Amino acid sequence: MVSLDASELTTRELNKQIKALAEEGVDEIVITNPAARHNLAVGIRRPCNIKIEGSVGYYAASQLDGPEISIDGNAGWALGENLMSGKISLSRSAGASVAASMRGGEVFVGGNAGARAGISMKGGTLLVAGDSGFLTGFMMQKGRIIVCGSIGEAAGDSMYEGTIYVGGEVGSLGADSRYEEPGEDELIELWAELEQNGVAGRPRFRKIVSEKKLYHYDTLERFERTLI
Amino acid sequence: MCGIAGIMYKDSRSTGLAPIGEELIKMLETMVHRGHDSAGVTVAGESLDSDLLIRIWADESAPAEETIARAKETVMSAGGAIVSAEARDSYLRLTANYEGDVPRLAEALLQTPGVVLHSIGEVSEVIKDVGTPVVMDERHGISRLSGTHGVGHVRMATESRVDISHAHPFWAYPFTDVTVVHNGQLTNYHGMKRDFESRGHHFQTENDSELIAVYLADKLAGGVSLDTALEASVDDLDGTFTYLVSTRDGMGYAKDRWAAKPLVLMETDSVVALASEEVALRSVFTDELERTEPQEHEVMTWSA
Repeated sequence: MVSLDASELTTRELNKQIKALAEEGVDEIVITNPAARHNLAVGIRRPCNIKIEGSVGYYAASQLDGPEISIDGNAGWALGENLMSGKISLSRSAGASVAASMRGGEVFVGGNAGARAGISMKGGTLLVAGDSGFLTGFMMQKGRIIVCGSIGEAAGDSMYEGTIYVGGEVGSLGADSRYEEPGEDELIELWAELEQNGVAGRPRFRKIVSEKKLYHYDTLERFERTLI
Repeated sequence: MCGIAGIMYKDSRSTGLAPIGEELIKMLETMVHRGHDSAGVTVAGESLDSDLLIRIWADESAPAEETIARAKETVMSAGGAIVSAEARDSYLRLTANYEGDVPRLAEALLQTPGVVLHSIGEVSEVIKDVGTPVVMDERHGISRLSGTHGVGHVRMATESRVDISHAHPFWAYPFTDVTVVHNGQLTNYHGMKRDFESRGHHFQTENDSELIAVYLADKLAGGVSLDTALEASVDDLDGTFTYLVSTRDGMGYAKDRWAAKPLVLMETDSVVALASEEVALRSVFTDELERTEPQEHEVMTWSA
């Protein structure tokens, strides 16, 4: 285990050191005194284990491929942007645009998520233990957003593919989204996921999917197209 | 992009005034990446031994000493008795006893050549300048100002020019102690500005944020509460905005229907603090804190 005190390092130096430690294969990297600073623990493309002891600012843990990061605090806007693989766990609330454009892996938010949670998601799972804000799942293209609490206005606006599960109320559906009843098997799987993440309760989830009236795109990745 | 901040100590009237100037500067300096062009604060709830606190900037049309002398004459000939006059560079901080009509005094000052009127307050003042918060503090001694609450701003200009007059906060002329800081753009600015001008209002700048101050002043003149004025504003103003307002004994925020501009809020029994980013709250409150993020189409107010 290696511990880095963020208060003694510039953000650039801190990120450099984290990357170097990840390359060396250090089993656990602990960051203390993050003090809600921006751009912490970004651009790491190796599996590693990072613990951030405190709140982080904008774009924390973004552009990642592989790491497992736990953050004990809040996050600002765009936590976990463009996550490719790995897991980000946040103990408290996230600002707007959490997990924007994520393509794989998992993002867990222990508190609430702000507006535009999972905007333009292209894969993976965003799990929010609390509520999430306006335009959750805006233009999502793949993956799953699971919100145990309520969602604000315009849920799933202009989503192409993917699924939003919601345990509480929905302010309103966005353009071109509709409700669907989840199957019992689906619910059992979701509840197991909640349990794994230490979320109590078994919400009777509803499911929001694309109505596909505005649907004019295929959903295949470039490599998938070569297979047909 | 701009950064906004606000802080209020709810019981400071009884427990002693708080270091509002110093804390606003700290909060703004941590958000200086959101705007280097200009900075400004309103410190409110100050303890004064006069009726009015007037903040004036002398523009470059004449030597500052001449404009400052003219401003003092204007106050005196309007019936004001000057209690103190502190001039720094081109700025004048004037306290005066005055029992007349404030709009009449404000109009007289606005008609005085070279005078740019930043604020007239009974308990508050606006200080704004080009440059960063720390530089502004060195020039104006903001850190020594105590009060019950205040708001501040760092500006990255997007819609009108960079100069002292276009810096925030904007005073809701001629309402004493009502000032606004704003992060965003108003897309129906020109239409609403024309409406106000057709009713005889003279805008001091081309900054769209001045419209918010004028809009709130107009609502308050109609006798509505600050809460109601803020609620109406989120429907009447179009665009992407989060703004804070400071009044004689209150502070509030309003957020557009798109939740497009950030704001985080921290509140305890004794203090409420708001900022574009949590890092600003952490510059004053060093421990990990519970904070919430106000959502779209929301307003809230507090009293000190």
